[in-house]
Amino acid sequence: MAASHSDSAPDVGPDREDAVSLRDVRKTYYLGEPVHALDGVTLSIPRGSYTAVMGPSGSGKSTLLNLIGCLDTASEGEVFVNGTEVSELSDRDRTRVRGDEIGFVFQTFNLMPKLTAAENVALPLVFQGVSRSDRRDRAEAVLAEVGLGDRTDHRPNELSGGQRQRVAIARALVTDPAIILADEPTGNLDQETGEQIMGLFQRLHDEGHTVLMVTHERPIAEHAERVIHVLDGTIERVEEIESPRRVETDV
Amino acid sequence: MDAAESFRLSWRAIRSHKLRSALTVLGVVIGVGAVITFVTLGASLQADILGQVGGERTPNVYVWAGPEGQNGGPGAGAQPVFTERDLDELRALSGVSAVVPRGIVPTAAVSSGGDTVAQRQVIATSPASFDSASFAAGRPFRQGEREVVLNERAARLFETQAVVGDEVTLRLASGESVGAEVVGLLNASAGGGPFAGLDSQPLVFVPTDPFYGTTIESPETGETQRVYPTVTVIAEDFGAVAGAKTDVRAYLDDRSDAAALVPDDYAFSVRTDQDLVDQIEELLSTLTDFVTGIAVISLIVGSIGIANMMLVSVTERTREIGIMKAVGAQKRDVLQLFLLEAVMLGVFGAVAGVPVGILGAYAAAEYVGLSLVFPLEWFAIAVGVGLLVGVVAGLYPAWNAARTDPIDALRYE
Ligand SMILES: Nc1ncnc2c1ncn2[C@@H]1O[C@H](COP(=O)(O)OP(=O)(O)O)[C@@H](O)[C@H]1O
Ligand SMILES: [Mg+2]
Repeated sequence: MAASHSDSAPDVGPDREDAVSLRDVRKTYYLGEPVHALDGVTLSIPRGSYTAVMGPSGSGKSTLLNLIGCLDTASEGEVFVNGTEVSELSDRDRTRVRGDEIGFVFQTFNLMPKLTAAENVALPLVFQGVSRSDRRDRAEAVLAEVGLGDRTDHRPNELSGGQRQRVAIARALVTDPAIILADEPTGNLDQETGEQIMGLFQRLHDEGHTVLMVTHERPIAEHAERVIHVLDGTIERVEEIESPRRVETDV
Repeated sequence: MDAAESFRLSWRAIRSHKLRSALTVLGVVIGVGAVITFVTLGASLQADILGQVGGERTPNVYVWAGPEGQNGGPGAGAQPVFTERDLDELRALSGVSAVVPRGIVPTAAVSSGGDTVAQRQVIATSPASFDSASFAAGRPFRQGEREVVLNERAARLFETQAVVGDEVTLRLASGESVGAEVVGLLNASAGGGPFAGLDSQPLVFVPTDPFYGTTIESPETGETQRVYPTVTVIAEDFGAVAGAKTDVRAYLDDRSDAAALVPDDYAFSVRTDQDLVDQIEELLSTLTDFVTGIAVISLIVGSIGIANMMLVSVTERTREIGIMKAVGAQKRDVLQLFLLEAVMLGVFGAVAGVPVGILGAYAAAEYVGLSLVFPLEWFAIAVGVGLLVGVVAGLYPAWNAARTDPIDALRYE
């Protein structure tokens, strides 16, 4: 399963520097009367940027992330991921983009309970057809990167919440995706562990990864370079953070 | 996703709920085992019976008159209608080498060396009914002599086993007693022919003259003649059997005494060994099909077990399916994973079912004293069936899993 790189970018293509860009995207659910979860969103996420999305519950943050992550399709508008317009793709191709270009981190970790940490991290590679020994090597390398080099054979129920989230982050990193999407990654963690996870994201950003993170906690959002404020399915404003918060702990 | 990884993940899923998987597999084991047992028993029974009947195929045509539409064995319900004249006419047909009448002489008992045993009947026939190879000792009786031939079971009826040269006394049903000399003993493998049935009973053979007394007035000649319920027409060779059979029937229907004597609702049966073999084969295969049908039902129940377990398993693992899809699993990958799980359960069941089935067949064969014949192709079929059962049972659950929406699945608790 080779990645479909967009060497022939669409003519209306977005800025080639953008990891992700959206044009006038709408997502409407019909439950009796239409619910506009997203109502005309245009934004771009430059490569290597660190962005937070904030907004009250039900404002459309998760919907936005799911559209970018190719888990869902827009009702209207265009979504470019690494230069490819994904809303017109077949289910098969969209799944491929999801596997190759997106790394997901969830609030509830979403690890496979019966697989070890290394197997969980290697899972995306399984669906890319990477050989077993390569999978193992890459999973161990990434686990070492997130500070879990000595926990590769532990199952999720043998790990703490923070460790589980690190396994999830390692899994998101293992395919070397264009963008890492995190939906409230600290939501299920205590403050101190949350800080450690933020430290990890900070390091990923420093190393050049693109990170888009949903949160409803202001202090968490302030770790990013800019904060997109969402309200009722629209972008209320985009706030540039002059000096993002730094985590001083060393992982 | 490569096949090895699919196997590993599916195997892990099966192992993660061992008891449930084992019980599901048990359903298939019982189904496949039952099918194998009954098919094996059916084939063994068929081979056994055909071995007895068809082992020494003879160029014989068996003739009797029985109730119309009755489907019993040879001689069932036979009425004495074949006169001596009919026998002579049959002997004259082309391709016929001998005609052997056979009648029943009702008796009360047989005594030998001071020991008397009850015997309901003796068989009156002609010397031509014996094949020299079937004698353990002695020779066939001669017509017109007071001589008897015993089969092995009959010889062993008496306290001191009867041997050639012994005197026996037949106590006829009429109360009269007749003495006779034992001149021949049949060996163990010699049966009484199709008219005597398949199980080995004590048989006493006597010549029709002087023992057989059932007579009638020939409608054609007006003479009083012996009349027999069953007749065996022996053709000159196997090539002549079909022709002889046609001629015998034509004669019987046309100008025979039997045609005049036979009751209205009776019909002639004219059968060759091959006809008998075919008939028994048909009867046995109907029986085998019926029992196998029941076994197949248990196999279907087994596959419903797999489908049920897979549906539960898919629901339980909704979240896992969502995770796999979120990290790039295609529909095909998910389908493959669940289908493989179902197929593995089916194949395990089938593979375990084969020895269970053989064991069952072995036990049953031991019980009824049958030698086993294994229909080998059925073992391959059983494994194929296991595969099929897995695919059929797993297809819908796996398809359900494959089309799960990842967002819904990830939200699933
Ligand atoms: N599957 C769905 N069906 C109907 N409405 C939905 C569905 N998913 C989300 N919504 C609605 O879309 C809006 C945005 O939801 P969401 O993106 O989950 O908000 P957030 O993550 O900001 O809390 C909400 O009003 C929610 O009720
Ligand atoms: Mg949300």
